[in-house]
Amino acid sequence: MRKIISGNEALAIGAYRASASFASGYPGTPSSEILEHTKTFEDIKVQWASNEKSAFEQALGASIAGRRSFVTMKHVGLNVAADSLMSASYTGVNAGFVVVVADDPGMHSSQNEQDTRLFAKFAQVPILEPSDAKEAMGFMQYAFALSEEYDTPVIVRSTTRVSHTQEMAYFDMHKLGGYENKLLVKDISKYVLVPKNAIARHKKLLERNAKLQKLSNETPINRIEQGTLNIGIITSGVSYLYAKELLPNANYLKIGLSWPFPIEIAREFVKNLDKVIVIEELEPYIEEQLKAGGIYVEGKKFFPQDGEFNLDIVEEGLAKASFLEKTPKKYFEVPDLPARPPVLCPGCPHRPVFDILHSLRVYVTGDIGCYTLGAAAPLSSIHTTVCMGASISMGYGLAKASLNHKVVSVIGDSTFLHTGLQPLIDAYVNNVAYTVIILDNSITAMTGGQPDATSGFNIKNEPTHKVDLENLVRSIGIERVFKVDQYDYQTTKEIIEQEVNTKELSVIIATRPCVLAPKKIKEIPYLVIADKCIDCKRCLRVGCPAIGYKDNKAYIIEDSCTGCALCAKVCPTNAIVKGDVNE
Amino acid sequence: MNKSIIFCGVGGDGIITASNICANALLRANFDVKKSEVHGMSQRGGSVNAFLIYGKKVYSLLPAKASVDYMFASEKLEALRSVDYMNEASIALINDRIVPIVGAKIDQDEINQYLNSFPFEQNIINFNEVAKLHNMQKGVNTIMLGYFSKIIEIDKKHFTRAIADTLNPKLIDINIEAFEIGLNLS
Repeated sequence: MRKIISGNEALAIGAYRASASFASGYPGTPSSEILEHTKTFEDIKVQWASNEKSAFEQALGASIAGRRSFVTMKHVGLNVAADSLMSASYTGVNAGFVVVVADDPGMHSSQNEQDTRLFAKFAQVPILEPSDAKEAMGFMQYAFALSEEYDTPVIVRSTTRVSHTQEMAYFDMHKLGGYENKLLVKDISKYVLVPKNAIARHKKLLERNAKLQKLSNETPINRIEQGTLNIGIITSGVSYLYAKELLPNANYLKIGLSWPFPIEIAREFVKNLDKVIVIEELEPYIEEQLKAGGIYVEGKKFFPQDGEFNLDIVEEGLAKASFLEKTPKKYFEVPDLPARPPVLCPGCPHRPVFDILHSLRVYVTGDIGCYTLGAAAPLSSIHTTVCMGASISMGYGLAKASLNHKVVSVIGDSTFLHTGLQPLIDAYVNNVAYTVIILDNSITAMTGGQPDATSGFNIKNEPTHKVDLENLVRSIGIERVFKVDQYDYQTTKEIIEQEVNTKELSVIIATRPCVLAPKKIKEIPYLVIADKCIDCKRCLRVGCPAIGYKDNKAYIIEDSCTGCALCAKVCPTNAIVKGDVNE
Repeated sequence: MNKSIIFCGVGGDGIITASNICANALLRANFDVKKSEVHGMSQRGGSVNAFLIYGKKVYSLLPAKASVDYMFASEKLEALRSVDYMNEASIALINDRIVPIVGAKIDQDEINQYLNSFPFEQNIINFNEVAKLHNMQKGVNTIMLGYFSKIIEIDKKHFTRAIADTLNPKLIDINIEAFEIGLNLS
């Protein structure tokens, strides 16, 4: 068929065509849609996991059971699953096992820029780097075959631009065929990594590397494209496309399998060329591999090591390397405009909590999710955000170290179950006195509303068991556990204030569901009675995008207002009322 | 020669859907098509861009600055934010409205002055008013697409099929109607 597909959709189709029958993952932009597409294939058992480590090991288990399996995550998710990856490289696999990792150069929605190729080298597992959606589909199929043939996990590394690009592709939706599930294997010497076995497995791994090194120089996905100009470009991923657009007639070494590095092809490639450069996003991985192999070509001298590439950046670099002359262009200058940063949605149940925390002037350790936006003005009430689960552990450290500041940790339900539970246990057994607020909106909202363990339904929207956070927290032994409804602003404020001033560990579970998922919630919008508005701007301080300000008065944008009434509750003159009252 | 379009607007505005319909229409019109967008944080009311490149054979996933042929902007401030992608020969279709930004003062006259200072062709129309007139507030972007199809000179039949391909079956008829409204707008 002929269709426009995204890179993430292509990865799902590739897995299906390769007869994968198990998939797990933890949502994270830009990887989330891979499983969302995978769920449409009935032959694949698919689910979200609590975190990437759990997802990784589920898929590894399925592989050992004899089923082709894969796991999806974003680059920072691989940090969480790194423990498993390092050892899975030793155990190897039974049926094909593929680890799909989506990097985010440019940090469109991430806390850092990591280059997963370095993880592949570290763990000594092959890594494939598709340039676009079409390649993503083919590479996914190839990855399963490689995994089985070489008895290794294989990483497929996407990037934001590959995952979220859509392009036209011709493909058929049938399975490739010729593949049958394997039998479950009991092989203690392979899968039990006690030192005696692991020592033997390490040797196997090194033998495998030698074979993979040979493969890397032979595989057609590492290919030389002859050009008519006497210059060469060594590149991978999306950088290839930008270069090709600008210099279609150069010679290319296009790298699809980048660890082990195809050093012999590179040697062959540079031999007859006057000038060769490397174009790669993020780390100088290819450049270092070349230099380690005695091939001295430059890359990062011309191209930045940070941020996402685009045509302008690649053109600039090619010009610096004297590969082309920049076409003079007249740029229109963008005037100095106020930034339009992302904000908490109108009606978001996190907003009242941040408004309260702001007014209490406490130190707040935050976490990864929509609620990170509580750090933005005017709420300005999150003071740290480092990585998944870090709010509770950092709050622990802060509370122990600082006697003068009241500390509160905020964390979402999905993040709490990801890596927040363990540090809460630490806080309990070590008697740390501070307040943890679990912002339980019963969904993984930031990444598009995927269900988590508190949602009560699964990825296919079927009803399922759900975790009761209150019971879970109480079962640790914590006694000061409170449930609040954030829309009941006054009570929520009283309880938070009370707990902040109590010298014991307490957990407050804020229970309002997300306004967007699983279904959009919209009540009657509110409006401002202009005569009563005294221009105190208190309602503006809650940072709601549905509240505007004109001619020294606040007003409410009817289309946007969800009727949460937070602004009405903080208004000192009762100037904000439900829309239908006055009509 | 390949052509490119920038779609710009505010997160949650339907920019991604509009660009999907357009990509599908161009596919129907037998072009090679590549589309790229920024997800994630932009879903929460931030600035959103989508890029579309079409032609005989497309390599790059993104267009270069000062090289975009057409702009589809659902908001004036966001149109202005992306003018560095435009050149003198570009053509823009801009919805004549400004979405407020939390904590920022926006001077409407200043925004208009800025826009007027650029020499490329600008079609600035208040599509929200048009939509209100036809009682079709939710079809603003599709009405815009109807008008836009004339600018990029792509036949209506490709767009109506693209609408049918892209949208929820319940929404197809109403959106085709909205598309016609835009198409017939002079």
